[in-house]
Amino acid sequence: MIEQIFVNGVLASLIYVIMALGFTLIFGIMRIVNFAHGEFYMIGAVIVLFFFGTLGWPFFIAVAAGGMVSAILGVVVERVLFRPLVGDELSGMIMSLAVGIILQSVVLIAIGPAEQSAARPFTGTWHLFGAVVPWDRTVVALCALATLAVFYLFLKFSRLGLAMQAVAQDPQTASLMGIESGVVYAAAFGIAGLLAGLAGGLMAPIYTVGPYMGELPMLKAFVVVILGGLGSIPGAVMGGLLIGLSESVLTTFLDSTAALIASFVIVLLVVVTRPTGLMGKSVR
Amino acid sequence: MKPVHVFLVVAALALLPWGLQSEYVFHIVTMIAIMVPMALSMNLMLKIGQLSLAQPAFMGIGAYGSVLLTMRLGVPPVLALCLGAVFSALTAVIVGPVFLRIKGVYFVLLTYAFGQIVNLVFQEWTSLFGGNGGLYGIPKFSIFGLRLAAVQQYYVFGLLFTAFTYAAMRAIERSDIGALFQSLNENEMLSRSIGSNALAWRIAAFTFSAFIAGISGAIYAFYLGFLSPDAFGFRLSVDLIVINAIGGATSVLGPLLGSILVVPLPEVLRDARQYQLLIYGLCLMIFLIFMRKGLVSLIQHHLRTA
Amino acid sequence: MGSLLEVQGLFRRFGGLIAVADVSFAVEKGQIFGIIGPNGAGKTTLFNVIAGHYRPSAGTVTFDGRDISGHSSDGVARQGIARTFQAVQVFGKHTAAENLRRGGVIRHGHNPFAYFTRDARIREGGADLNEVARFVGVSDCLGSTAGSLAYGLQKLLGIGMAMMVSPKLLLMDEPAAGLNPSEKKAAAVLIRRLRDELGITILLVEHDMPLVMGICDRILVINRGKQIALGAPAEVKADKAVIEAYLGEDYEFA
Repeated sequence: MIEQIFVNGVLASLIYVIMALGFTLIFGIMRIVNFAHGEFYMIGAVIVLFFFGTLGWPFFIAVAAGGMVSAILGVVVERVLFRPLVGDELSGMIMSLAVGIILQSVVLIAIGPAEQSAARPFTGTWHLFGAVVPWDRTVVALCALATLAVFYLFLKFSRLGLAMQAVAQDPQTASLMGIESGVVYAAAFGIAGLLAGLAGGLMAPIYTVGPYMGELPMLKAFVVVILGGLGSIPGAVMGGLLIGLSESVLTTFLDSTAALIASFVIVLLVVVTRPTGLMGKSVR
Repeated sequence: MKPVHVFLVVAALALLPWGLQSEYVFHIVTMIAIMVPMALSMNLMLKIGQLSLAQPAFMGIGAYGSVLLTMRLGVPPVLALCLGAVFSALTAVIVGPVFLRIKGVYFVLLTYAFGQIVNLVFQEWTSLFGGNGGLYGIPKFSIFGLRLAAVQQYYVFGLLFTAFTYAAMRAIERSDIGALFQSLNENEMLSRSIGSNALAWRIAAFTFSAFIAGISGAIYAFYLGFLSPDAFGFRLSVDLIVINAIGGATSVLGPLLGSILVVPLPEVLRDARQYQLLIYGLCLMIFLIFMRKGLVSLIQHHLRTA
Repeated sequence: MGSLLEVQGLFRRFGGLIAVADVSFAVEKGQIFGIIGPNGAGKTTLFNVIAGHYRPSAGTVTFDGRDISGHSSDGVARQGIARTFQAVQVFGKHTAAENLRRGGVIRHGHNPFAYFTRDARIREGGADLNEVARFVGVSDCLGSTAGSLAYGLQKLLGIGMAMMVSPKLLLMDEPAAGLNPSEKKAAAVLIRRLRDELGITILLVEHDMPLVMGICDRILVINRGKQIALGAPAEVKADKAVIEAYLGEDYEFA
């Protein structure tokens, strides 16, 4: 029982971490709460639904395509809509609401409101310490881990990654050092889109796909990021694990809605007592 | 256009439904009359420099509260309506001192989380609230023996409350309280140095806005005869933001005009509901690109003081 | 009879940095008390702790017998302590008269309960406004937008707003900052009049030595968060530690 709860929790938390990373990246670098983050996830899923489910492309290619589309969308949206709003947190937030609504409605018009299922690329289960682990979720988890590893390497060792960290910490000094904030902003949104799109694409066959499917992952990302600290990468990882595990426990003993309520109560407590979260840096 | 002219136009519009004699039109204007106080409730919070996403939760508490009092405990509807609003106000008074110490983005997120919690509780506690399936069989509202059954009557009811709320907000705006809110918004440090108890006034504004939302919720509940949690979710917050953005948040008239423009949209686009969503998003986006000042100028000030 | 303001063993830390270390002094009713020190000495932090912007990390601030350590800035104002700001603060979009009027909030509307139970004292507000305006010298510009006034006038308006609180103690943060020599002379005269004619006790933080030496009854000198001298201007001027602290700085002890 415990093993199952644990395994479920870890599997769920990996996706939450990926979602949280993109969310926190945008906030850390541009101070924008991206309410449209869930829609990038949804777009990735819709792409997979279409290319893998309808056109029969190989699964991983379709997922990659989903990631790319969301990434490009992120870059475009940043350049055109969000760049003028950097520093204006409230407008940024409201703009993200608008973007999210528009993306939802476009998909709604395209494929209708009903949730659809994609074919499952992997079936069957295996056993880990007495817990039942579905293969499709295992694949998702492995891909998520791989993505995390690549992301980590990128952030630590690439010029762009280091530049992003610099801008997140101190935008003025970063620009004095010659880092072009525009490139960094575009990269932040692009990477966030990529991560969310990949997550959505990977998860497409597991649940159903619909225009509103991004709302719940966005909520989860939101909770994780608040807990871990807005703008903190390690915080997103830690928060993801904590929320994934606690959710698994609560869902097993109560139900998923109770788990969600608990998550939001955690958000309340964190914002009230320690707004910077477990690992966030001071906002001042 | 002088304010008097605007007022006359609005009054004429308010009387229009009787000229058209359509139940459908009456339904729409009743919904407008319920939304205006909600929009004003959010507007009051904007006036003290906070974007509160908790208003739908307060509306829900007023709605479910008053309805349950009537249905389960046989409380007369008038009293139940007042008590429902009192529940909302009490909730605000309790969470206010905690929430209102926090400013800027974090306050928004806080009210967002709070709103979600309240909504999820409505969904989860099915024995009390009826859950996602909805709470049915709400009796008609009756006041001093007069039973309100027709939509026209609810419209008048809504209109009266709208007029009351509008007058109250206008009075606040022009009074010393309004000046105080302005002071706090313009320069909190200075205001506090001359003795304004910023926190106490914020709590007062929050509580009053919750009370208004609570009454709106109760009227809504008795009118519709049926309640479901998704009427009080994040979507409503977005609607209220859109209304305040489009109508303009700096004056009390803004939410009124905004509601008149925005509320009928879903009904008018009933056949193409997906387009309603698209238009919403586009309106909001266009507004943000070209006319940010209306909504945001009130609050820009406070975003760095989180 | 106790001092009006007593600071005992005050500390203020910011993380690892100790900005104020073990400062103790008393201000008697009717005194003009000055706090001076080299740049970065901690004067402003000390000032802000007294004014209620920061809680003390340790130590106490007592006003008129009451412990006000840790009170908020508006709480401190309601005790009868007003303050002016170094970078002048006014409600720029409103007239000077409206600014002064708002200063009167403490008498009738500082919190919702007070507002709704206010009594006839409010009526007095009107007379005070004009008197205050006359006292500080802004009567001629009452109708002008505060933001458009000259810097010197804005500073006077700021003092006027503080006076509307009817303070027993007025905290002044660098009252001479940004003023030209003749304005500084006028400021010194005004500060003296606040004490002489209205009985307001003054505590000021300043860089301008001639001003401080000229009007203060007692001076506290702070360097690197610690107090290094406390006494009458003559004593402080001659104090070795004080001279050392200022060595290298271009100060003229008037």
